[in-house]
Amino acid sequence: MSIERNRNMKINWMQKLPFRKPGERGKLPAYMTENVTEDLIRLENLVKIYDTGAVKVLGLKKINLTIKKGEFVAIMGQSGSGKSTLMNILGCLDRPTMGHFYLDGIDTEKLTPNQLSEVRNRKIGFVFQSFNLIPRTSALKNVELPMTYAHLRSKKERRERALQLLERVGLGARYEHMPNEMSGGQRQRVAIARALANEPPLILADEPTGNLDTASSLEIMELFSKLHQEGATVVVVTHEEEIAAFTNRIIRFRDGQVISDEQTDRGREASFSRAEGKKEEKPDGKTDKKPDEEPNGGLQGKSKGGGKGC
Amino acid sequence: MLIENMAMAFSAIRANKMRSILTMLGIVIGIGSVISIVSIGDTMRRMFSDIYKDIGVTQAFCQVKSWMVDDWRQSDMFTLDEMEQVKEVFGDEIAYIDSNAGVSGEAVYGRNKVKFTLSGIDYNFREVQPVTMLYGRYLNEGDILDGRMNAVMEAESAERLFGTENAVGKTFRTTVYGNVEDFHVVGVYKKEVSPFQALMMGSGDDSGTALIPYTILTFPNDYFDSLHVYASEEVDLVEFYSRFTRYIAKKKGRSVDQIYTYTAAEEMGSIDQMMGGLSVAVGGIAAISLVVGGIGIMNIMLVSVTERTREIGIRKALGAKTRDVMIQFLTESATLSAMGGIIGILIGTGLVSLGGMALGVPVVVKPGVVILAVGFSAVVGIFFGLYPASKAAKADPIEALRYE
Repeated sequence: MSIERNRNMKINWMQKLPFRKPGERGKLPAYMTENVTEDLIRLENLVKIYDTGAVKVLGLKKINLTIKKGEFVAIMGQSGSGKSTLMNILGCLDRPTMGHFYLDGIDTEKLTPNQLSEVRNRKIGFVFQSFNLIPRTSALKNVELPMTYAHLRSKKERRERALQLLERVGLGARYEHMPNEMSGGQRQRVAIARALANEPPLILADEPTGNLDTASSLEIMELFSKLHQEGATVVVVTHEEEIAAFTNRIIRFRDGQVISDEQTDRGREASFSRAEGKKEEKPDGKTDKKPDEEPNGGLQGKSKGGGKGC
Repeated sequence: MLIENMAMAFSAIRANKMRSILTMLGIVIGIGSVISIVSIGDTMRRMFSDIYKDIGVTQAFCQVKSWMVDDWRQSDMFTLDEMEQVKEVFGDEIAYIDSNAGVSGEAVYGRNKVKFTLSGIDYNFREVQPVTMLYGRYLNEGDILDGRMNAVMEAESAERLFGTENAVGKTFRTTVYGNVEDFHVVGVYKKEVSPFQALMMGSGDDSGTALIPYTILTFPNDYFDSLHVYASEEVDLVEFYSRFTRYIAKKKGRSVDQIYTYTAAEEMGSIDQMMGGLSVAVGGIAAISLVVGGIGIMNIMLVSVTERTREIGIRKALGAKTRDVMIQFLTESATLSAMGGIIGILIGTGLVSLGGMALGVPVVVKPGVVILAVGFSAVVGIFFGLYPASKAAKADPIEALRYE
């Protein structure tokens, strides 16, 4: 099995090498594009057991779950309910003990640690409770980082895109600020800009408002709503009902099991009532997005392959 | 990517200035001592080779070991005829030969008395020991053949004895082999002295030097005890002088080991050997101090990796591969170490230059040594950074993200 996996890896790598023209740098590897499905996340009989030596703790018990592209989902539960465990698995930071996790059609079980890094880089945008910006590194550099690891675009283009993203989260003027020079809400917005850097299909937010005051929390959730309206799939882990109320679907966990999974339209209502004035900005958001996509589209053809350097 | 890694490394080093400086200290001292001692060695080597170039590397003195043979006899000495025979036998292989004769005594001019060394030379001595004539002429073939009481004087000596450099036409009196003789100055020369030679010879010397025909100094009995030979530039010195020694031994009816042939090349070789030994010893010490410095870097990198566990976790979550993290930390340790190396070079060359300035000696710092030192310190950084970097690269992202 592991030999098989190695061989697959080797073939992938060798296939990639000779065909890697400068214009194709940063192109997704084959294993990421082979089986793209409508379901962004598919969990099949997922079990996670923590082996702490003497005791074996059952973290997740046979989870079956599907999240489609374009959904705005809240995962709720108290601490110890297994929602963090699920979060780690969805984020490709951890592997299930049994069962399968398909992310955008990729069977994550077959991936090596480096391939998992690649998947996190290209498929997932993380937003953490404690922001997790790189210290002593400017907002701009933080946003550039995922693009750097993807070897995507030239240095100049990375910078331009990072500036656009910061503009989009309302921090255009603060791109040179260090994390410790910003408020919690600002930091979290930098983190969101960073999560969007490689245009991942999945935005994964782990208690994104846990360290924020109410006003900032609302701003952040509105930002997520906006992203969702623009077509992003957003999964938010939270234990606050008000936060979950922004979403379209709430999945509740207890003792490592799904206890409820319901569609809701409260999220949209809440969004309307809390930010009536901001509703009109939606078209702006859309026009914002256009220039983002255009340079990327044009880039594939004309890129001269500079800016990699390592 | 490399540039970004370098920038990250510098910002990490800046964030912990004191710690970084202390860590670098080991490398600074190691590289600094290597650079200074290698430079001192190179400078001394240059000094000696300059001196020997001045004196003539191809020269040798040859005589029967009178202090070793029990049955010393008159025939162990040389005559002018024998010297002519030697010239004939070796032909072009000998650039110059004389009787290595000289006298020391007091030269008198009016009321001036100056200690003088008179060296007996042949007219073509100038070809192996070039000098610049300031006034008059050099000794010519006629002076030698006829044994004329003419002298060529070194400029400073002339100044000392006559009160003027232009001593051509003047006469001084000195004692040669018990006889009082008058010498006629026909020329004054200047010898270019390298700063090394000046340092080694000392410039506070108040005695004088003059060259006179060697034919004068074979008096009173036409015998002299040693030959002074300059081999021509083209010959293999070792082979030539061993052949020369065998020839003299045969001529004098002595065994080869009873003949003493002292060559400048041999002496230079022994100095070179000494320097080589010194270099090896210094290399050993430097290696030890660099290893110690390297361990210091490894230590601080381990601390750094632990402190930045969370950052590593973030980077991994954002898609850093094992290689990316590895390269980041290797760049940091190499940068730290190379910076130490550069500071060490600056300090080392600075110290050596100061010492050189104090002694008035131009210091030799080879660029190759400097490049090697920086490169080596970076290699030390990479080598001792490997373990901490691989520790960082292997970190589990979940554990790392949870780290406080």
